[in-house]
Amino acid sequence: MNQNCDLLTLRSVSKSYGTVPVLYDIDLAIRDGEFLTVLGPSGSGKTTVLRLIGGLEPLTSGEIRLDGQDISDMPINRRPFNTVFQDYALFPHLTVAGNVGYGLSVRHVARKEIAERVAKALELVQLGRFTERFPAQLSGGQRQRVALARALICQPRLVLLDEPLAALDLELRRQMQEFLKSIQREVKTTFLFVTHDQEEAIGMADRICVMEAGHIRQLGTPHELYYKPNCEFVARFFGENNLVAGTLGETRGEFRAIETALGRLVCSVADQPHLKAAATGARGFAAFRPEALHLAGDGDAGNRFSGAIADLAFAGSSTVATITAGGDAAQRLRLRFPSRMDGSVLRAGETVALSFAPHEGHLVLA
Amino acid sequence: MSSAGLGRPIAFRWSPLVTALAFALPVVFVLAPLAIFLVYSFFSVDQGQIVYAPTLANYLRFFTDPVFLPVFWRTIVLCLSVAAISILLAYPTAYFLTTLHGRWRYVLLMLLMVPLLMSYVIKIYAIRSILGLNGFLNKALVGLGIIAEPSTLFVFNMNAILLTLTLLLIPFAILPIFLALERIPQVLLSASHDLGASNLQTFLRITLPLSLPGVASAASFVFVLAIGDFLTPQMVGGISGFTFGRILYSQFGTAFNWPFGAALSVALAMVVIAAILAGERFGRNRGASL
Amino acid sequence: MIVVPRLSTILLAAVTGVVAVLLYSPLFVPIVSSFFPVARGEVDWSSPTVSTYVALAGNHEILAALRATLVVGLCTVVLAVVSGTLLALYYHGRRAGRSLLQFIVFLPFLTPPIISGLALLIFFREIGLERSLLTVIVGHTVFVLAIVYRTVLTRLQSMSRTLVEASYDLGATKWQTFWRVILPNLSSAMAGGAILAFALSFDETMITILVTGTQTTLPVRLWAMMRLGFSPDINALVALILMFTVLLCALAARFLVPRQIATQRS
Repeated sequence: MNQNCDLLTLRSVSKSYGTVPVLYDIDLAIRDGEFLTVLGPSGSGKTTVLRLIGGLEPLTSGEIRLDGQDISDMPINRRPFNTVFQDYALFPHLTVAGNVGYGLSVRHVARKEIAERVAKALELVQLGRFTERFPAQLSGGQRQRVALARALICQPRLVLLDEPLAALDLELRRQMQEFLKSIQREVKTTFLFVTHDQEEAIGMADRICVMEAGHIRQLGTPHELYYKPNCEFVARFFGENNLVAGTLGETRGEFRAIETALGRLVCSVADQPHLKAAATGARGFAAFRPEALHLAGDGDAGNRFSGAIADLAFAGSSTVATITAGGDAAQRLRLRFPSRMDGSVLRAGETVALSFAPHEGHLVLA
Repeated sequence: MSSAGLGRPIAFRWSPLVTALAFALPVVFVLAPLAIFLVYSFFSVDQGQIVYAPTLANYLRFFTDPVFLPVFWRTIVLCLSVAAISILLAYPTAYFLTTLHGRWRYVLLMLLMVPLLMSYVIKIYAIRSILGLNGFLNKALVGLGIIAEPSTLFVFNMNAILLTLTLLLIPFAILPIFLALERIPQVLLSASHDLGASNLQTFLRITLPLSLPGVASAASFVFVLAIGDFLTPQMVGGISGFTFGRILYSQFGTAFNWPFGAALSVALAMVVIAAILAGERFGRNRGASL
Repeated sequence: MIVVPRLSTILLAAVTGVVAVLLYSPLFVPIVSSFFPVARGEVDWSSPTVSTYVALAGNHEILAALRATLVVGLCTVVLAVVSGTLLALYYHGRRAGRSLLQFIVFLPFLTPPIISGLALLIFFREIGLERSLLTVIVGHTVFVLAIVYRTVLTRLQSMSRTLVEASYDLGATKWQTFWRVILPNLSSAMAGGAILAFALSFDETMITILVTGTQTTLPVRLWAMMRLGFSPDINALVALILMFTVLLCALAARFLVPRQIATQRS
């Protein structure tokens, strides 16, 4: 499998239910063999994207191409994709083996071959002993794995997963994330995974496609999305972030200044030509992570400002301070620092000098 | 997510032929007969032959003839009484069921429903023999010294119809009331007690109002079933227990006046529709379940 | 649990007891009479007998009526289950026309039997169909259709839509999906509906009396005999039928109680 080759492309795909548009002109290319996560809040259209690809819903306009061939009108049962449904959709009247073998059986594969392939698929998801059980006799995690085996057995080109972990509790969810990732590596099949949980997305995906209100906001690796969000939505949605509004100032090499209520801040614009090119005076945000913000030492020259500690929240290994800063103390910031056994280094009510390094700050256009 | 798409099943695209077939059975065998029936009520009979010419004579006769309207009202009062007595007996019974725990509640409910399975005709016959002059009821009353002689109070008259219909229809009153009572969240009762209400206050202010929809459905059920029954009055009513259903039925038998019978049926249908609508209106659950 | 003080509990229990006695007395009379001779309202407990049951076996008139009832019941069940299921499938999830059709299907259940029966009587006369067991079957089918339709539709609505989607997704055709996924999931609801339909048809009297021909079903035959008074073997028949119906309904309850398997939806 070649990761650089596009398996599936969506070209200006739109979808409306009646007169209600849910997707606007989506362009998306899914690479062969990758684990692509579509991330977005509920109502963003992410599930619709998956249903369009799976053939569960017709397109309103645009086209979907598989290996360059238009498959927009191909009926669902001919598409070489299989889905793991959010509620698993296991057939309650069939055993685990019956469920997993269903896709082969409807294609009239010989009974013996079905049995062999079912055994192999169940082996893969570590459910070899459960062939004769009914879905009602399985735990949530086990049902999940049956659904996965059922989707994989026909060797689809693409596996579509619709928030499959949503119904599981936190611990099981973590295990299943690792499990899914390892299965994906083992079978080398392309996975398209839909979720609203950004932690899940970061942990599993090769690339993440962030959606909001029927638009794709950004497509990139988790690292890119985390450190170089290209818009306010992604910057806010993806992990905790401090955003300070201001107007863009001059560019100097890989850095650019922004005038804010906290004064003049300098942030990195490396590898982001659109930020270098943006007009001076344009509205934007300085974005920096809570863990990038720290108490200013003597050596910290740039991006210094003072703020008052409004609140401290102990969160185990780290502690998060909520800080008010700027004129009228209107700007709320978060500062995350490692917790210490002998108590906090900060006290609520204290006014402190703060700073973040220019290369850890980032600009987002408004 | 795409909740807008959930209502539409992708399951089957039916051809127009199937659509036609789907409608055929109910339309041909339900709607058509009822429509023809309605049309019939505007025909008349002349010397045993039906005259297919529209007339309002049947309705006029129903409203002007001194026989029909009084029987009509009397039948409505009778059926209302049946409904009232059934509910008076069914409410405490249903309430008692909800005080039981676990499976006993449903075992007893099932036991109270079993008589419904008994052949209808046989039940009427048995009740008649119980109520009869030499029946068990009179024997018991005489034996207990309540009356000296076997009484004809329950033999072949309106009382007999009232008692028989009540006995037949009580289960239909128990079920809706039980379901309404069972649906009342226990936390509401706890909350009422917590706010200082006594048991009686809790019952009058919480349980009773919340169970009234069930009572309304029960009343509507029993009334409709009672007023549509023409066999029970025929069997236990004798000559004095003349009900509307019997008159109606006789138009298709001895009197042989189908159009007039159809007109009487329309009058009956109006009452039934009113009863069902009333049951619907007051039987709707007003968010009793949380 | 509802908290009730002792006295009121006793009163409630007493009313319930009275109701139970009232409901059961018409059942006990024929059953007791089937084993003990009864004369003038007095049971002769001294001489139990099964002679009534023996007499029943020789009552050809009753046995013929019983046979007719079974034929009508089975035909009714087949017709009602097939059309009720088709209607439920057809109307599942659709909006247009559904409430109208549903209303029509429920009409015979809501209208008093005397009205539906007479309407059918006139209808059969107008289309020139002689009254016979066939017209009885039509009457019963129309009457019980609502039950089957409702049971199947309820099951269909509780079935997750994604089951059908999953079947297509795994490559199944329309028919494969129907036979392998939809029908197996409906079968217990269909069986439950069928038993209920049979029970209703078995005891249906008022519509039957209006649309039946010379050959007729058991309740109508009993109705005709009742004017003259029953021979003791009828009591035996009643006892047997009651036992049979209780069994049948216990069976229906088993089918209609949702299986654990159906609980896998979140």
